[in-house]
Amino acid sequence: MAVPLNHYLAVATLLFGIGLCGALVRRNSLTVFMSIELMLNAANLTFLAFARYPLRGPPAVNGQAVAFFVMAVAAAEAAVGLAIIIAVFRVRGSVNIDDLRSLRN
Amino acid sequence: MQTFPLIWIPLVPLLGAAVLGILGNRLGRANINLIACGSILTALAGSLFAVASVAGGATLAQSFTWFHVGTVDVSWGFTVDRLSATLLLVVTGIGFLIHVYSTGYMAHDPAPARYFAYLNLFVSAMLVLVLGDNLVVLFVGWEGVGLCSYLLIGFWYEDPDKALAGRKAFIVNRIGDLGFTLAVFACIAMFGTVSFHGLAEQTGQLRIDQPLLQGVFAGWGTGSVITLIGLLFLVGVAGKSAQIPLYVWLPDAMAGPTPVSALIHAATMVTAGVYLMCRLSFLYVYSGTALTVVGAIGAATALFAAIIACAQNDIKKVLAYSTVSQLGFMVLAVGVGAFWAAIAHLVTHAFFKACLFLTAGSVIHGMHDEQDVRRMGGLLKRMPQTGAAFIVATAAITGVVPLSGFFSKDAILSLVQGTRNAGAPWAPALFYVAGSLAALGTAYYMWRLALLTFYGQPRTEQAAHAHEATWSMTFVTWTLAAGSVAGLWLALPLEGGAPMERWLAPVFEESLTHLTALRPPAEEGIPWLAFLVAFAIAWAGAGIAYVLWRDAALRERATRMLGWIRVAAENKFYVDEIYQSLIVRPIAVSARFLWRFVDQGLIDGVAVRGSAAVVQAFSRYALRPLQNGNAQSYAMVMALGMATLLWLILKGHA
Repeated sequence: MAVPLNHYLAVATLLFGIGLCGALVRRNSLTVFMSIELMLNAANLTFLAFARYPLRGPPAVNGQAVAFFVMAVAAAEAAVGLAIIIAVFRVRGSVNIDDLRSLRN
Repeated sequence: MQTFPLIWIPLVPLLGAAVLGILGNRLGRANINLIACGSILTALAGSLFAVASVAGGATLAQSFTWFHVGTVDVSWGFTVDRLSATLLLVVTGIGFLIHVYSTGYMAHDPAPARYFAYLNLFVSAMLVLVLGDNLVVLFVGWEGVGLCSYLLIGFWYEDPDKALAGRKAFIVNRIGDLGFTLAVFACIAMFGTVSFHGLAEQTGQLRIDQPLLQGVFAGWGTGSVITLIGLLFLVGVAGKSAQIPLYVWLPDAMAGPTPVSALIHAATMVTAGVYLMCRLSFLYVYSGTALTVVGAIGAATALFAAIIACAQNDIKKVLAYSTVSQLGFMVLAVGVGAFWAAIAHLVTHAFFKACLFLTAGSVIHGMHDEQDVRRMGGLLKRMPQTGAAFIVATAAITGVVPLSGFFSKDAILSLVQGTRNAGAPWAPALFYVAGSLAALGTAYYMWRLALLTFYGQPRTEQAAHAHEATWSMTFVTWTLAAGSVAGLWLALPLEGGAPMERWLAPVFEESLTHLTALRPPAEEGIPWLAFLVAFAIAWAGAGIAYVLWRDAALRERATRMLGWIRVAAENKFYVDEIYQSLIVRPIAVSARFLWRFVDQGLIDGVAVRGSAAVVQAFSRYALRPLQNGNAQSYAMVMALGMATLLWLILKGHA
């Protein structure tokens, strides 16, 4: 029995919500980073669900193609983001996001 | 000769002023003197050419269009008729003599180039004023001479009092100029033209008793508009020609170098108002009211200033009040329609008053800047040339027969006495009495001045060692003294009218025809009575001066008898103080209020700093906490924004 669209969307929403909450409230920047990855994956799941069950017309591969792009970008982002976090840790000795307030003023 | 370019007459002194002003003292004194005097001499030569071509009674007019505004055409036009020719010769002739005198007087001043640049500029502006063929060009000259007057009164600007005197002259003249400009606007509204020729033509066709049907003055009587214009011009004249109530600047203007007082504040600029009223004679003859007011102002000024002059001790102040008084005579002459007599007195006054000022300048020079007559005395022995010229000019101004002042002043007084004024029957007699008393005062204060300065024993060490002026100065004073004798010819009551009357007849012919319709003249006949009265008055004034000068005890008694009147006259009747408390102080107080409360308080404080403070407070307490540098709070705002957007979009689909 095929899983219907709404189930996928519900899971994606749940994932996105968890990711968003994590990104907004966690203090450790590594955790924040992982939460962002979670939101990306929620979006990916939505793309794939709509690729399987489009609202109009037959199923297509467009959504799956975008999902690959997202995965590629997320990989690049992970490389850059982790590099930044390591660099910050080397300078400041901390990855606590509350201590990184250079944007103030 | 008809094509003589009039523009060069004012242009050459203007070029002189430019050269002197730009190159300055590096030219060297000799070159400065040469340029300054040479440019005026050129203008004098040009004036002689121009006058020669109009001597036959023709009018020389040259103009090109300056600008149009609506239906009003203003041309940059010069015209020479016999009236402006007379003034042209006075301005360039006496202007040249005073330039020559100045080379001696200013020989030790550190800024001769600046002085002569201003003086050349003045002559240029005065020539524009005299030559202008419409009110706007005349106004250019009118303002130009006012500017030069200001610059030259405050020539020694390091002295705050002198700079202040310059400002006072300028500001008082602004009040007069306001009247002048309003009058010009009224002329435009009424006649649609500013040229003297056009105005004369239009006034010639006026129906004086009919109301106007259209334009700015719709509903007004034609006569009342003419009266209004005449009175507004009178305000301008009162400023420029130092009449009550705006005369206060002229005595203070004596702060300038003495040749400036002679040229600007005695011979030429201050007579510009009289010239203007004569130029507009065709307008004034349509308003009996305006003429009566003009006469009243003139008579009052003549008498009032003469009284003040009697009690002054500064040689230049006496001459200044004397000038105010004599200008009053000229304005009085205009007020009774004796235009030619006003001009005749203008010319003779230019000679003898310039002579008096220049000799006074020589005295001040010889006394090392001492101006108080009480510290002089016996100077005739030390300065025989200067003293003799002063005595001649004094005799001329006081009306000793047969010098020029007697005839020109008597021409005015006899014409005043000979007029009838239906609108104000009391006026001619009153004017005559006031004028005669002023003449008596003139004789008294001038002989008092002459006696105190040149006769008796020297009263100070300075007076005992005063030195005679240089030849360039005595030459000029003698020339002017000769002029004040020769000027008697101008107003000599010959068969068929005085020479000046016949010379100016073509200019005033039409005006006088209308005036005769307005005011039928009194019976014909040579006014022997007026002659005898004037004769007696001149000697009576001189006699009083002599007796009071000789007899110290009598002087004491006279001083005590006059009491507070003398004290008031010595203090110039406190007019300056009254103006100070009634006009200057309230203006200063309200200006302070505007400055402190409106400008600094409302505009700077509330509007400018207030709005800045509101923005700053909003930023500090509302915007700054948002920018706390915490990336998560930024992200929270973004997430909330996205959620709101999403909600708004989906709400429609639900």
